[in-house]
Formats: sequence, structure tokens, C-alpha cells
Amino acid sequence: MKVLQVKHLQKVFFPGTDNERHVLKNINLEVNKGDFISVIGNNGAGKSTLLNTIAGTLSADAGEIDLADHEVSKKSVAYRSRWMSRVFQDPKMGTAGDLTVFQNLVLAQSHTKTSSLKWYQRKNDLDKYRDLLKTLNMGLENFLNTQVKYLSGGQRQALSLLMATMSKPELLLLDEHTAALDPKTSQEVMRITDKIILHEQLTTMMITHKMSDALKYGNRLIMVQDGQIKLDVRGTEKRNLNKEQLLAAFE
Amino acid sequence: MIISSLGQGLLWVPLAIGVFITFRILDIPDLTTEGSFPFGAAVAVSLMIKGQSALMASLVGFLAGCLAGLITGILDTKLHIPSLLAGILTMTGLYSINMHIMGKSNVPLLSQKVLTEYLPDNWNLDIQTIVLGLIVIGIVVLVLYAMFKTRLGLSLMATGNNKAMSAANGINTDGMIIFGYAISNGLIALSGALVAQSNGYADIGMGIGTIVIGLASVLVGEIFLRGRGILTRLVAMVVGAIIYRLLLTAAMSLGFPADDLKILSAIILVVVICAPIIQNRIRTKRQLKKYLEQMEEPADEGTTSKASTEGLLSRD
Repeated sequence: MKVLQVKHLQKVFFPGTDNERHVLKNINLEVNKGDFISVIGNNGAGKSTLLNTIAGTLSADAGEIDLADHEVSKKSVAYRSRWMSRVFQDPKMGTAGDLTVFQNLVLAQSHTKTSSLKWYQRKNDLDKYRDLLKTLNMGLENFLNTQVKYLSGGQRQALSLLMATMSKPELLLLDEHTAALDPKTSQEVMRITDKIILHEQLTTMMITHKMSDALKYGNRLIMVQDGQIKLDVRGTEKRNLNKEQLLAAFE
Repeated sequence: MIISSLGQGLLWVPLAIGVFITFRILDIPDLTTEGSFPFGAAVAVSLMIKGQSALMASLVGFLAGCLAGLITGILDTKLHIPSLLAGILTMTGLYSINMHIMGKSNVPLLSQKVLTEYLPDNWNLDIQTIVLGLIVIGIVVLVLYAMFKTRLGLSLMATGNNKAMSAANGINTDGMIIFGYAISNGLIALSGALVAQSNGYADIGMGIGTIVIGLASVLVGEIFLRGRGILTRLVAMVVGAIIYRLLLTAAMSLGFPADDLKILSAIILVVVICAPIIQNRIRTKRQLKKYLEQMEEPADEGTTSKASTEGLLSRD
């Protein structure tokens, strides 16, 4: 079953000027249920543009995006969030700093009821969230009523991750979500990510600059170069891939 | 004198709360204020002269303000005009609209029954004003408090705090911003309607300086009443508006002529903007000194580190 189908996707920045850049060149991509895709590529290759276009923060100039059987290429970010969640690179981006951990978690669920006139604070939710936070093993369960801006980058990113996954989205987008963290925290967050994805069987696209993470995690690997998908390997082929082969493909 | 400025201050509370919603919750400095305040006054007074009841006139004044906010919101979100300019555009447009509504630059109320006259006759005017103010504010604060406890209110706060995250979590951020502008300006217009009834007239110039008054009230309130619970923050606006009015009364009793009130307002705003910054710096310095002294004492480490985390987390 296909979760995401991208057809003939085009994106051109600054058309008609000297700075014109054709970033996505007729991209076709199918993401099947259960895929955990590592997306790699040089800076400027177009992988972030691809992710942003899928998420809706950038509009597609041409082409189709079918998300869970809904054509969404002209739809808003909010509409797409019914089936898709996202963790940003910057830990500050994925959470609301002035709101508490609890409030952030409330925002992460039932994306279609954001204007509901029901009170949001409920006792059993509190217990549910505390249990969920415990699974992260970052001590966050003691900070439910703390404003998120007082958490560390790692804690904030782990919270973002929990928020993005707790509603079990059809598609999870991870945009270099460990890049802004120190090596140790980055490893820890990556480990939690893998655990959650496998446990919830989430279909995932993860951009990463770390070759080792791209090889170690996931069951499919895509290399984006010069606005096109240059390499797309999965299953045993992906497992047998090594760093040298990958580096050679970059050339 | 203090009693009378207390009553006057209460009538300005909806303005402070309105400015609080755009400035603090949405993080937008909204200049529509200067147009929606006299808009509310003009609509209410004109309706009363046409024979409508004061209650009906005030309510329609509130709705008129909502409409003004709606327009600024659409200019800001849908037409992508920078929020500061969007507010200025609506404010400027409202000047003409207010003139059309009033027909001339000053419209006095004649024998029309204002809201305070619904209260028992044997109370004096100051008491009537205070009671009326308390009733209106009670309703406004309660409704807003309840609203901020709903998912809708949470979405509004999230939008003001982090738009990208809010959109990624399914919130219609444009809609939330427009909604915020609308209730904010509705409350500001309500304030205009109340002040006009208290003054006994609506004047085209009565909006001048209201954004400064609103911002100063917000900041004064936050100096006197700190906290991050929404009820505390709303009550802080009530306190802010009253104290600000008392400050102005004090200045007038020192012999400043009424024409100088605007520059006084501006100076008060500068002071209250700077005061918390300096206050904060002094507090941080003191805390730091205390912390470093603690470090020097070779006390048991466990308690020291616990105390320092608590200091970090509690903000105040």
C-alpha cells in the first residue's frame, strides 16, 4: 500500500532571474507502508526542498503529491498534518517554547479538532502523557508543567519526536533532526527515533547528513543529487551497502 | 479623586486586555487600536442617539470593533501586508468611517440613558461607574479565561508563539490570527463605547494615544502582577489599567495641564518598558552572586545543584 506518491514534481527558485535554480527536476517517488527511508545528498542537492514540498511549507511548481490517497499538492500544511507529522532540524521549531510540555503534547493530538471549544486539560491525559514521556528516558515526565523553553536541546527534540509520533501519522518526516545536537545527545535521540519507528511501524522519510546513520537505520535509502533521485536501494541490497559504495555514488 | 480614577481605570480595562491579546498572545503590535477605540464610541453613541438602548449600543460597538480587527487580520494574513502597516491602514480608513458615522467630529449624548443609569439611582456616579466596570470586566475576564482553557485558546496561544509548529500540528494559523485581531479590537471598541458614555460624548480624536495607553497598561500590569497562568495574566491587565489611570490622575493633580497627558503617557510607557529590563538585570546579578557564594562554600553538592535547577526553572 502506498502512503505517498510523488509524480513529476518540479520546483524552480527565482524563475526568470539570473539566480534561477531548478532544484527539483521531475521527481517521481513512491513510499510504501512500512518504509523507513534515509534520504542523503549533498548540500543544495534538493533533499530539504523535496521534504518541504511534501510537507507543504514550499508549494510545488508542477506535479502531483498523493498523501494517503489524497491529492494535497495545493493544500495547506495544516491540512496535510492530518496524515503527516514532522520533526524539524532546529529543536526550537518543533515545539512552542512559551507553552508547557503538557500543552505542547495536547497540541500534538487530534489535528482536526484544533478549534474545539472543549477544555483541553484532563486528568487521564496527564497520566497518559507522563507514561509516554517516561518511555523517552530523559526525565521529561517531571517537567509536564514546565515551559518548554527551559528544556535542553536534546529534551526539546525528544519531545518534538514524541509529539510527531504520538498520533501515529501515516507518514513521518524527519529533517536532519539530530544535526543541531551534540554527538552524544544526537546518538541518544537517533536511538529513541529508531525504537519508536519500529515499535509503531511508522512510515518514515529521514534526511540525514550522517552517512553512518543512513546506513545503520532504515530499510531503504535514497540519494538525491542535482534535483533527481540518483540511488534508491532497499531490503537486502540496502543492508549490504557500505560506506565506500555510498561515497563512490556521491561522485 | 482616587475613587473616580478607579472607576475610570476600570472602563479602560477592556482596552488593556485587547492590547494584551494582540501584543502578548499573538506577538503583534496592532495599531488598529487607535481606530477601533473611537469606532466603538462612534457606533455606540450614534445608536443611542437613534434610540437604541445603551446595552444594545455597547454590544454593537463591540461587534464593530471585531469587524475592524477582522479587516486588519485579513490584510495581514491573506494579503501579506506587514502587521504594523495593516494596522495603520485600517486605523486610517476608520477615521473616515467614524466621521461618516458621527457626521461631525464631536457628538454629545443628550438625555439618553447610559449604562450606569441602569444601576440604582441612590448610588453616586463614582460607585455606579465602578460597579458597571466590575460587571463588564467580570464577564470579559471569565469568558476569556474559559476560552483560553479550550483547545481553541491553546491553538491561539500556540500560533502566537510558534507559527510553523502550529501549522504542522493542524492549526489554521491565518484563521487564529484573524480571530485574535477580531476579539482584541472588539474589546478595544467596547472600551471606547464605555468611555464615551462616561464622558457623555464621542469624539473623532479620542483614539489618539490609545495604543500607548494600552501598551503601558499591559506593561504596568505585568510589573505588579507576575505569573504565567492565564487568569493571573488577565487580572494583571485589570491592575495595570487601574494603576496607569491612577498615575495619570496623580500627574494631573500635580498641576500638569490636560494637553500634556499624551507626552506623560509616552514617558510612562518608556519607563515601564525599561523598568522590567533593569529589574531583571539586577535580579539576575543578585542570583548569580548568591549562587557563586554557595559554590564557594563546600556544602553538600546535592542540595546546591537542586536549588540551582529550581532557580532556572521557575523563571521568577
